[in-house]
Amino acid sequence: MSVLSALEIALTPYNLLACFVGVLVGTLTGVLPGLGPAAAMALLLPLTVKLGPTAGLIMLAGIYYGAMYGGSTTSILVNVPGEPASVVTCLEGYKLAQKGRAGAALAVSALGSFVAGTIGIVLLQLFAPPLAKAALAFGPAEFFALTVVGVIVLSNLSGKGGIKAFLMIALGLLLSTVGLDPLGGVNRFTFNQPLAGTGLSFIAIAAGLFGVGEILWLASQPEEKIEPVAKVRLRDLYPTKEEIKRALPSMFRGTLLGFLIGLIPGPSATIASFASYSLEKSTSKHKEEFGNGAIEGVAGPESANNAASVGAMIPLLSLGIPFSPAIAVLLSGMLLVGVTPGPLFLREHPDAFWGVIGSMYIGNIMLLILNLPLVGIWASITRIPYKYLMPVVLLFCIVGAYADNNNIFDVWVMLAAGVAGYLMRKYEYDPAPLLIGLVMGPIMERSLRQALIMGRGDLAIFVASPISLAMYAMALALVVFMLVKKPRVMSAD
Amino acid sequence: MIKKFLAILTASIMLAGLGLVAAGCGGAQGSSNGKTQEQKIEFPTKPIEMTVLFAPGSGADLLARKVAELAGKELGQPITVVNRTGAGGAVGYSYVKEQKPDGYSIVWNSNSINTAYHAGNMNFNYTAFSGVAELTTEPVSIAVKADAPWKDINEFIEYAKKNPGKVRIGNSGNGSFTHLVAVALENKTGAKFTHVPFGQGGLAISSVLGGQIEASSQLPAEIMSQVKAGQVRILAITGEERLKILPDVPTFKEKGIPLTLSLWRGIAVPAGTPESVIKKLEEAFKKVAENPEFKKFAEDMGANIEFRGAKEFDQFIAEQDKELAALMEQVGMKKQ
Repeated sequence: MSVLSALEIALTPYNLLACFVGVLVGTLTGVLPGLGPAAAMALLLPLTVKLGPTAGLIMLAGIYYGAMYGGSTTSILVNVPGEPASVVTCLEGYKLAQKGRAGAALAVSALGSFVAGTIGIVLLQLFAPPLAKAALAFGPAEFFALTVVGVIVLSNLSGKGGIKAFLMIALGLLLSTVGLDPLGGVNRFTFNQPLAGTGLSFIAIAAGLFGVGEILWLASQPEEKIEPVAKVRLRDLYPTKEEIKRALPSMFRGTLLGFLIGLIPGPSATIASFASYSLEKSTSKHKEEFGNGAIEGVAGPESANNAASVGAMIPLLSLGIPFSPAIAVLLSGMLLVGVTPGPLFLREHPDAFWGVIGSMYIGNIMLLILNLPLVGIWASITRIPYKYLMPVVLLFCIVGAYADNNNIFDVWVMLAAGVAGYLMRKYEYDPAPLLIGLVMGPIMERSLRQALIMGRGDLAIFVASPISLAMYAMALALVVFMLVKKPRVMSAD
Repeated sequence: MIKKFLAILTASIMLAGLGLVAAGCGGAQGSSNGKTQEQKIEFPTKPIEMTVLFAPGSGADLLARKVAELAGKELGQPITVVNRTGAGGAVGYSYVKEQKPDGYSIVWNSNSINTAYHAGNMNFNYTAFSGVAELTTEPVSIAVKADAPWKDINEFIEYAKKNPGKVRIGNSGNGSFTHLVAVALENKTGAKFTHVPFGQGGLAISSVLGGQIEASSQLPAEIMSQVKAGQVRILAITGEERLKILPDVPTFKEKGIPLTLSLWRGIAVPAGTPESVIKKLEEAFKKVAENPEFKKFAEDMGANIEFRGAKEFDQFIAEQDKELAALMEQVGMKKQ
């Protein structure tokens, strides 16, 4: 079957409607902090069954990739990430909004998502089986090597380098050990608080450090000193030619990088967005703009997280193995409608398989059409004076932190992170490396301990495969490079 | 002046909002009225909330949602499902335990009530709840790669005995039920494995496929796609009889290994819930267990229907608690 016949299945009115419902719910899911795609998909599982396999799966997939579109909206407008994968968009997106370029940032993020989503499906169609096979070559030892490289590359995210960034990443790694041991069993550092067993929620900490931290910062400034947000005029709503020209290469780089990172088990979309930001920053011709609103810093990560969400479907479609919680719900949906994911999917249910693939092309177009007109509405939010907007944002953060896991503990974590965010801002510590530590910590710890158990005490397992060796060589080269190029890196700023 | 007034106003609204949140979390715990309701009670008169201890879309969650849907119809009030995950179930149990024992807060219970307590993740055990009804059991399967040299479980065990510790067997976490089953298998056969914990999310099977480990222990439903595609072979399952969806896979019992330990699921309420309310709930869930729609659904999910009423369920949980505690002691995971 070809793309054309795939589109034919997806374009029947019934499937088209299912696709629309899916991407609409997905966009909303993305916009609301705390409500993630996994929870939204689980809520609609009963409807999936009633729709039948093809339409049902089209709808579920729509929620899944649609969520990556909306996530950036609140990051850009009010510095509160709607999804973990949009945390890094706060860095440049919110700065752009403060400069009056909210519309441009939102539009570029929608465009980037579209580019990545569409190219992602093409790559998925072409390379799914070999990539799935490659993903299987990664065992715990290889994943550990990968996280070592990841932490080294991403430690320099802020570009300021310095001991402060390393401290923040170390703090993030430490905080990630709170809660249930990732290998199961025992609570750690919970001080006998049963509700703390969930650990420190990533979305609560991100909303606290960025959103609440910003609110407190604004509140601490004398009113006269707060710069009013530049007035947004209608013709400023959309990106300029110059901005598009700068954003396009970032989108393509982000897509490719994100797609590959999508094959990593765990929160791959979040990692992909961080990695893309880091890449954009080091390759940009406008380095000085990073930290003050560089459009590349929105275009790259927002493309990367979409591409990663498509890449993450490969292990599911080719192997039937879910690598992330949201994908696990998609798998559940398949089982509920009687479809076996994995190698048999295409053979036993070609209609559903090609219907979903076809619908992803159409869904991305729908999402673009859905999101671009919304840019104007969203951007007008930045015209609301802070003193009215910020209380609403705080409420939004509280609800979001609670909704993530229906756990009141997360709300306290979020508020505490808010105070920490304020202090970090005051004393010029960058919160982003902390979040990288928090997201990489569990993967790093899990793979390290698994490899140690599997090697039965023999450390040779860490260098047993050429993949691991290549990773460590890369890590070593990076460290040497950083030391040579920036001797400042090991000294405090 | 007006600006300042507005600033104060918004600040106080923010504080009031915070206060409400704080009050909301504190207030829910208090006031359980001690009156015994002897006469026929009106129950339920409002929606019931079912706490699920595992993530949306997990095996526990899917069964729970089906049960909630069907039981809601029987009771004439909807049952809403809320996922409260974390600490191997302890987060959700702690929440439900603190709710009013009036039957409107129920929990989708499982062996996790035993394992979470003994692992030291909560300071109360199964006696903090009253069983309402057991509904399903799920066997645990030991799987290997399709081209693995072992024809059946006996050959596999034979090899493991000859090469102690050489067979690496993945599970869903230290002290998890799949881990304990693999340990019980060692006890019953004298084999010795190296247990590799993988946490939730199906990654053990990808390491089996990738050849990094030799076998894995998990619920059969989690690996149905790989089994159907012929990439993975299940050597044996626990439980008393074969699963309908896996008619060719023998039980350990058939193969001469007396290992039947299965994962049970059911409904529980905070201790102190009136008998009459428990009775009413028990009747509704009994009807769910007899419902052909549920039977079919459970079958597809790799689960067996096993109904136990409130009294027998309580007894059963107490027995299971002893058995699992002994296994956890053995792997050094028993903290209390």
